[in-house]
Amino acid sequence: MGVLYFEVSGYLNKLTRHSLMQRQHLFAHMSGKQLDDALIASQAFEERSFDAYGLFDAQFNPLGGQIRQLPTDLGLDGKIHELSRCLDADDPHLPRDSCDAVALKVRDGRWLVLVRDNGSLFVVTRIILHALLWGLSLTIIPGIAGWYLLRRRPLKRIRAIQATAEQIVAGDLTRRLPLSPRRDELDMLAAIVNAMLDRIERLMHEVKGVCDNIAHDLRTPLTRLRAQLYRIRQQAGDTSPQAEALEQAIGETDTLMARFRGLLRISELEDRQRRAGFVELDPRTLLIEMHDFYLPLAEDGEISLSLELPAQLPPLHGDRELLFEALANLLGNAIKFTPPGGQVRMRASSEASTLRIALEDSGPGIPEDEREAVLKRFYRSEEGHRHPGFGLGLSVVAAIVDLHGYALEVGASELGGAKLVLHCRTGVAS
Amino acid sequence: MPRVLTIEDDAVTAQEIVAELSSHGLEVDWADNGREGLSKAIAGGYDLITLDRMLPELDGLTIVTTLRNLKIATPILMISALSDVDERVRGLRAGGDDYLTKPFASDEMAARVEVLLRRNSVPMAQTRLQVGDLELDLISHEAKRGEHTLNLLPTEYKLLEFLMRHAGQVITRMMIFEEVWGYHFDPGTNLIDVHIGRLRKKIDAAGQTPLIRTVRGSGYAIAEPV
Repeated sequence: MGVLYFEVSGYLNKLTRHSLMQRQHLFAHMSGKQLDDALIASQAFEERSFDAYGLFDAQFNPLGGQIRQLPTDLGLDGKIHELSRCLDADDPHLPRDSCDAVALKVRDGRWLVLVRDNGSLFVVTRIILHALLWGLSLTIIPGIAGWYLLRRRPLKRIRAIQATAEQIVAGDLTRRLPLSPRRDELDMLAAIVNAMLDRIERLMHEVKGVCDNIAHDLRTPLTRLRAQLYRIRQQAGDTSPQAEALEQAIGETDTLMARFRGLLRISELEDRQRRAGFVELDPRTLLIEMHDFYLPLAEDGEISLSLELPAQLPPLHGDRELLFEALANLLGNAIKFTPPGGQVRMRASSEASTLRIALEDSGPGIPEDEREAVLKRFYRSEEGHRHPGFGLGLSVVAAIVDLHGYALEVGASELGGAKLVLHCRTGVAS
Repeated sequence: MPRVLTIEDDAVTAQEIVAELSSHGLEVDWADNGREGLSKAIAGGYDLITLDRMLPELDGLTIVTTLRNLKIATPILMISALSDVDERVRGLRAGGDDYLTKPFASDEMAARVEVLLRRNSVPMAQTRLQVGDLELDLISHEAKRGEHTLNLLPTEYKLLEFLMRHAGQVITRMMIFEEVWGYHFDPGTNLIDVHIGRLRKKIDAAGQTPLIRTVRGSGYAIAEPV
């Protein structure tokens, strides 16, 4: 379309110029009466003055023709000029806008001005241009609308897939990506992912099944072992030479059972998706309770345990028992690893939508390269081996923190020991 | 002699429960599946039932629900391999009176059975508890040993009240933590011992007959000295 427009307008332009040149050529060889007659005759077929002329004397006074005044921009050099504003005249038949014009000196000394209007040419090119614009708009507008409509549906489906995927990531492995009846590429992809999810879910079930079986298989013998040892101890009486050995065996079994319960507890927490126990709770009450619970232990170990609380704290949304368990683990560790005469500090502060609970101690601290590892199961630092403990405590903490969507930061305290900061989102958890 | 019904599918565990409870002077019957257990529980007129949560034929939870629907109020100690907090809540909501998770220590189990058997021994209307010359006023929250008034912290008061309500019975550390602090996890360290130690210092001052007794390996008991 564009090419057509340019070709046609170029061709018409050339044609106009050519006809003007022919007239110039023709009239250049005439003079006197012959010229006048020829000029009048040339106008005989012109209704609208596409080809107008003006005859002037040597002093540029008009002598004849429609043009009564010499176009201002026209050079008197006998060459064709393209004028953007043609003539200043009231005659509606005269071309006003763009035209080709030429001024030539005829043999008898008079000046002849010939003008060829480009108007007709513009009409044609305008028609072509309009056609071109129409064509474009009829193609582009439905195109854009169509593109938008076509794009909207897959986008909606991708959003649905995204929403499902988020639920799966959050732990609900029973969900599947939605399929449409169209069976298109998106559905093929979703079907592949669903098949993978089926397999993953089956594997997870198998692993969990194995774990549950092991747990179940161990639970009963452990209960029996503890019970039988206890029975023998009861029957032996306090005076028996075996009493002490049996006492020790029972102690070891208790340790084993506690460690086993800890492991079960972590896996329970890890695959718990429901937050049934979540309530709105006041962190101040929780922390004061913690402080009171641990104060006697700290005092017995000659450790000063302090609690710094602002007058008000925003409520937390969480499981009271689990949060207490997590904080108790951290505080218990802090007290355990702090030597007599040391200091343990609990501090809470809130900023924006986060509540920070910081536990600091003057104990040996956690080396920088071990800070990641302390949250893993059964991890205990070199220092920790000198103290009793199961090495599971911090993993329980990590599981509880995860369940709540909180974050635990392990660092160094200005008191010289470890600093553990629990970042809790306040208000209702999503 | 109080009669106890043990519904438990594992023979060895059941034997241990029977042996332990018998040594406490209780008469124990054993049912190894849910169906038999339920019919015995309905017909037998027992003073207490220990009930495994997972049983062949009839589930433990169903048995509790059925018994409570039949208005049978026999105290029930649920014993379960499921230790999840939600599981405990479900068991207690269905009508269980106490909940113990496997693996458990038989002395812990026995202590809980004793407490359940005698849970109504102190009438609700009672306003004073007494053990020897130790008195606790439940209205004014005042404790006195002889003529001497004891200055107790709120937690110490709760702890003493719990022990005195079950005077003469063994109370385990786990029971103390559950009752006094209201939490159901293992606090790990010797925390409860430390709290008892504090309380002991106030109650059993030097020169007085100690009232709080440590039961080796199991827990504590408060009792009049014999």
